[in-house]
Amino acid sequence: MAYFSRSLTVEEVMREEKAAVAGPVETTVRYKVVIKEINGWFGRKQALKNINLNIKDKSVTAFIGPSGCGKTTLIRCLNRMHEMTPCALVEGQVLVDGADIYDKSIDPVVVKRRVGMVFQKPNPFPTMSIADNVAAGLKLNGIKDKNLIAEVVEESLKGAALWDEVKTELDKPGMSLSGGQQQRLCIARALAMQPEVLLMDEPTSALDPLASSKIEELVRSLKEHVTIVIVTHNMQQAARVSDFTAFMYLGEMIEYGATSQIFKNPEKELTERYISGKFG
Amino acid sequence: MNNAERKDYRLVLHGHMKKTYRKRIIIDRLATIFAIVCVVAAIIPLGSILLEVVKNGVAALSLEFLVATQGSIGSGKGGIGPAIQGTIIVVGLASLIATPVGVLTGIYLSEFAGNGIFPSAVRFLNSVLTGLPSIVIGIVGYVTVVLVLGSFSVWAGALSLSIIMIPIVVIVTEETLRIVPHSLREAGYALGISKAKITLNIVLMTAKSGVLTGIGLGIARIAGETAPLIMTILGTSLFFSSLEGPVDALPLRIWRLASQPYESAHSFGWGAALVLILMVLGVNVVLRLLAHKKGFTVRAEV
Amino acid sequence: MARLLDIGLDRIRNLIMDMATLSEESVNAALESYEKGVMLRPQIFEYSEKLRILQLEVADFATELIARYQPVARDLRFIQSCMDVAYGFSRFGRYAYDISDVLEAIGPIPDCDKSYVIEMANTAKNMIKLSVESLKKLDKDTSQKLYMMDDSVDALYRSYLRFVLTPRDREYAYAEVRCFISALLILRYLERIADHACYISDCVHYIVTADSSPRR
Repeated sequence: MAYFSRSLTVEEVMREEKAAVAGPVETTVRYKVVIKEINGWFGRKQALKNINLNIKDKSVTAFIGPSGCGKTTLIRCLNRMHEMTPCALVEGQVLVDGADIYDKSIDPVVVKRRVGMVFQKPNPFPTMSIADNVAAGLKLNGIKDKNLIAEVVEESLKGAALWDEVKTELDKPGMSLSGGQQQRLCIARALAMQPEVLLMDEPTSALDPLASSKIEELVRSLKEHVTIVIVTHNMQQAARVSDFTAFMYLGEMIEYGATSQIFKNPEKELTERYISGKFG
Repeated sequence: MNNAERKDYRLVLHGHMKKTYRKRIIIDRLATIFAIVCVVAAIIPLGSILLEVVKNGVAALSLEFLVATQGSIGSGKGGIGPAIQGTIIVVGLASLIATPVGVLTGIYLSEFAGNGIFPSAVRFLNSVLTGLPSIVIGIVGYVTVVLVLGSFSVWAGALSLSIIMIPIVVIVTEETLRIVPHSLREAGYALGISKAKITLNIVLMTAKSGVLTGIGLGIARIAGETAPLIMTILGTSLFFSSLEGPVDALPLRIWRLASQPYESAHSFGWGAALVLILMVLGVNVVLRLLAHKKGFTVRAEV
Repeated sequence: MARLLDIGLDRIRNLIMDMATLSEESVNAALESYEKGVMLRPQIFEYSEKLRILQLEVADFATELIARYQPVARDLRFIQSCMDVAYGFSRFGRYAYDISDVLEAIGPIPDCDKSYVIEMANTAKNMIKLSVESLKKLDKDTSQKLYMMDDSVDALYRSYLRFVLTPRDREYAYAEVRCFISALLILRYLERIADHACYISDCVHYIVTADSSPRR
């Protein structure tokens, strides 16, 4: 879907129409994350049923669905955080760049360094300053070079669109920022680890509309460097921000496709009913 | 729903509430007054004790009092120097033993243990220990250390006091760590940090002030315990000589001074009590300052 | 429980259906004037005005629904199409008015051979009816039928044109010329009405399938 960033000439419009009618050309698409036959349980209750999904590199994929559909459970399977809940179980494979993160030989802690996560409620470390918060992942993983850390902190804060607002106050406590700024701080903290995939679990549901839209702009700019998966219960946000959308219901993947197609003409009736607000 | 047919609950309910309003206001006021009276009743003993101690103890304070050894009984000369030194040594040693044991146990119970049989047993035994009479702990110390080593000693006293202090530290540490929001741990995990580092650098740091308060509570408690000291350090009028020998301590000294029939001895006793109270106060003030000094504490949420 | 959007959708649907009825009556009145020579011009003018106002209201209301409720998928396609369909109905009213304009300008023509026009008029009237039916039921399959009828309308028009332009060996009388002119002008408008009926069924197809036009 072409974002309305420039107006198209007549030739370009005609070319696009021709392409739309002819169908997509098969180019080698790079899939960053391949989810194969994932099944997940909370104790006896099966929360995820046979999920199969390919997530394209350097794109934004949104998971939507009513409460309890399993979208948060699924996203937490992508960085091996689901299994940390007591009585939680995961079966299946998640391939990041072709390597299964659930393989026995892989340390779950290492997985989390490649696949970062941002949570619903901003959670900066209360005992640390802004700079220390951003550097927390680095310092507590053994990085000692102060100059390197300072560089990465500045880079990450710039990437999270927070640098200009805090560059003179890096020693102030992390909790002294507003809600929207705290969430951007958490994004910067996650970015400092240079993840390849960034998972965002309803990142704006605790924020006011202005802060939310700043984060949405941020997501759009971040996708050039990082593959992003975002869970949201706000359909319009999914429509605004994502390239691909997956609709889940009662633990199953009902439909997955390009966002413009899902919101213009979904294939499954259940999807149509959900996005039109007829249930959920 | 037809508005005309709908029963007018507003009139009925508000009417009732209006009728009982005056009565409820009176009950509210009475309850408040009763609560204030209870608070005052609770403060009076504390306040009067403090007043008595200060009133009677101030007179005995002097530099000589603080550093000299005991003079001849009944002479009115000398001081409680050895007792002060002994308290510092025994309480200090006991804290050094109890703090790591208590904090690490608290960390274990809060972060690593579930609700299985072993952790539940630990918690249960811990709470039993808090209720154990201190004289019993003194006997335990006597039997295990004094009889084995062959003499009353600092070790015995420190060990007994640490047994009293550990449960306090464990309970406060576990409670404070539990209060730390789980979202902070999750944030740490999501950054690929190991559990040990998360527990120490993030969770414990966040709960720092609470843990230090727990330690302060423990110290305040053991600084005033007399019964275990009777059976373990014996008390003496000499300064500290060795860890295997007896030593004096303020609670013991106060007890001995109070049992003597001389006026001067009683005066010294009040002075010693005042010193003890001031020392415990001092420790707690220092711990509070430490808690608030570096880093930022989680105040409102705790 | 009905969504807030549903209340808006009902309202816009009612507006469209009102416009459908009005435009049908308007075209029928114009064709009746031609057939029977009755003067129905003020009535037709009133209909046309009403249709124009209703069309503006549909456009405004559709925009408001989109801004307020951010509809997606079928709801969005329906609202978009309502704007196009409303324009189509207002065009029917306008063509009816144009037909009555022609009749006024030409004057009474009782002796003309009106058979071509009447045949085409009936087809056009049926096409309007069919398109309104397909809109009511959201039946996407009527498009094919309407295309065939549109083709026949086009063919009729061309054959009449050929008939008029075929050289004869005598001069035309003034009355005959007036017949030909009025018939040709009205046939032009009927052909446009037929096209718009097809556009309306295209809109219905779009609502149901999200494809723009099956003809292409």
